[in-house]
Amino acid sequence: MRPSFFHHLHPPTIPTAQSRWRYTLGAGGTAIFLMLVLVITGALEMFYYIPTPAEAALSIQTITYLVPFGGLVRNIHFWSAQLLIVVSAVHLLRVVFTGAYIPPRRFNYLLGLALFLISIFLNFTGYILRWDTGIQWALVVGTNLIKTIPFFGNNLYTILIGGSEPGSPTLIRFYTWHVFGLMIISAILIGWHAFRVRRDGGIALPPPSLRADPNRISRFELVRRETLAMILTSAALIILSIFSPAPIAAPIRLSVLQSVPESAAAPWFFLWVQQMLKWGDPFLFGILVPVIILLILVLIPYIFPKTLESELGRWFPKSNRLAQITLAIITLLIIFFTILGSLPTS
Amino acid sequence: MRKLIAISSGILLLALSLAWWMNSRQPQPVELMPILTGQPEYCVTCHSDLPEISASHPVETFGCVSCHGGERLALDADLAHSTMRGGANPSDLSVAEISCGGSSCHTGSEADDRDHIQRVMTSVQSTYAGAIANIRYTFGAQTDLTAHQGINAITDERTQTGITALEIFNPTLESNPMIQKFGEECFTCHINAVPREGESYTRQTGCAACHSTEQHQLTTAISYTQCNTCHNRGNYDLRTMTFVERTDHLTNRLEEYYQPIAQFTQCEYTLDCVDCHTRSEVMGDGDLHSNQKDIQYVQCKTCHGTLTELPLTKTLTDPNDIAFRMAFLKPVVDLKLGDTILVTEQGEPLWNTRVLPDGTYEMIGKATKQKFNFRPVMGTACEQKPNEQESHFCHECHAVER
Repeated sequence: MRPSFFHHLHPPTIPTAQSRWRYTLGAGGTAIFLMLVLVITGALEMFYYIPTPAEAALSIQTITYLVPFGGLVRNIHFWSAQLLIVVSAVHLLRVVFTGAYIPPRRFNYLLGLALFLISIFLNFTGYILRWDTGIQWALVVGTNLIKTIPFFGNNLYTILIGGSEPGSPTLIRFYTWHVFGLMIISAILIGWHAFRVRRDGGIALPPPSLRADPNRISRFELVRRETLAMILTSAALIILSIFSPAPIAAPIRLSVLQSVPESAAAPWFFLWVQQMLKWGDPFLFGILVPVIILLILVLIPYIFPKTLESELGRWFPKSNRLAQITLAIITLLIIFFTILGSLPTS
Repeated sequence: MRKLIAISSGILLLALSLAWWMNSRQPQPVELMPILTGQPEYCVTCHSDLPEISASHPVETFGCVSCHGGERLALDADLAHSTMRGGANPSDLSVAEISCGGSSCHTGSEADDRDHIQRVMTSVQSTYAGAIANIRYTFGAQTDLTAHQGINAITDERTQTGITALEIFNPTLESNPMIQKFGEECFTCHINAVPREGESYTRQTGCAACHSTEQHQLTTAISYTQCNTCHNRGNYDLRTMTFVERTDHLTNRLEEYYQPIAQFTQCEYTLDCVDCHTRSEVMGDGDLHSNQKDIQYVQCKTCHGTLTELPLTKTLTDPNDIAFRMAFLKPVVDLKLGDTILVTEQGEPLWNTRVLPDGTYEMIGKATKQKFNFRPVMGTACEQKPNEQESHFCHECHAVER
């Protein structure tokens, strides 16, 4: 069989041991597929979405209820975005828990981290585009956090929000970031990230002399596995979309600060920050702690003992235990705070 | 692997068919484009079975959202209904101003007689000021019978009665337990109150308390049965400060009309309340009053005159006369320019009456469309004294025995 264009995106063969589901979890590939789904469904939504405060929520109602299959497209867009966060986090955990980030993959680790961060910003900007009473609280609280940054917080707020309070300049800025700015950056980074995977020698694995299993699978087999993953992901997206539609609420009719929010909850991936905000200083808990966590993630390949080459290509190598423990603690804390934050306040 | 792909393709296909099937089960959206708003509404997708609210509010013109609010594009019941004004009743007084008001609707100018909502807000039916003043006076919380407090705080800057404002009545601030109990037990009658339980008390709140006699219907042909959801249903017992429901068996209109102790004449139980009682009596005249008696002024003599005077009349010469507008809303008479009708002492047209060439009068029941012929007192053998002109003096001879 002559390899097609799609086959040619893959190396001719890769080692059998490192191409197993239980090693990669298929997370990176699924993330790229979800991105693709997001671009397609997002482009469809753009035919109907109107980025003005008066029309935004109404145009989303139009998409959801009146456009044929618009509700399904919107639900798939929503669920792809949520799964993207989960899958990206899993991908990050996999890379750290297998110690795969050591040179020469250190730079690609940073590119991946940047992509993770951008997918969170993409998710948050998309969430704000609803411009309804369900997002209002997070919009006000989230953007007010920016003001607490010393020295340049107020200027940054004005640049991002486009005024002294959220309004029509905010919406058009968030829209532009969502469909253009962040999209362009993530498209470039995805290409770069994928290119570096191959440039750095594919999936991390021990040197040839130390490999237990010398077998390799062809790109045809690899593409078949990816196809299977894409089909199953698509089915999951559709089933989630049918049984759990994307949230929607009544439009913000007065100004953002005057309307009554429907809920006082952040989107789920910021619930841990919301939980910490209950404890005190918004700058400390809302900005500084997340930034410190990000910084620790950035420094993981630089400050912790490096994984031994001989231990590459499998889960939980002893040599980078410290990095694993650090990330495990951070992850568990974030999950714990998220659960705390999602409990109804009494 | 190929087998796995085939199976998962099957699952995907199944999921897609399920999505397709769920989509086909959704109702086909039904669009309504009201002339007044020019914005599409999809409420009738589910609510096509509702009757037209009234001839004055055709759905093609008003749509649903102008009055009800709600999310006009949403086909999910929860979201669609989430922003409705006043729940199912947009005429509740808490939202009537937004739902029914507006300068081209029912908060128009006083001069045009289109200030319905302003008048209702100040009327005793919604302030309950008379009852509150009486109870507070009786139990020593105030020294006069003038209204100082109402159900809601309200001001009247252009007062004719001297009452410029009512404070909100708060029974928890009262020291007398009877007044406190009055607040707990006796607040079911003013038009924005949630009515007592029971079929005979069933009514809406706000404008619809009187104007909605059937589900999703507004009318100005208000039958006495609608008034009866508050009036004549029982008595407040001031010793126990409780409402005592009527226990007598109501079999006919005569018994439904008045309570056993009341005195009344034949026309009072043959006509509907709105056939005689005018807009300003029922909906308020725009001023705050201390008592129902201050605003209720129509008497027997309004239509029948006295021994020395005929009732007041007016010949309609102005095509813009409000009598024509009122007759248009309840087309029970064919009122024409040049017709002579009776008017009240305050000049309100009794537009459903007419002076006949033989000197007698004719009244058409607004709700019943029944025709009644009646005569003036003048020229009869009536022995009424000139200084005894109120209705209760008429009752002395003309009351119906039960």
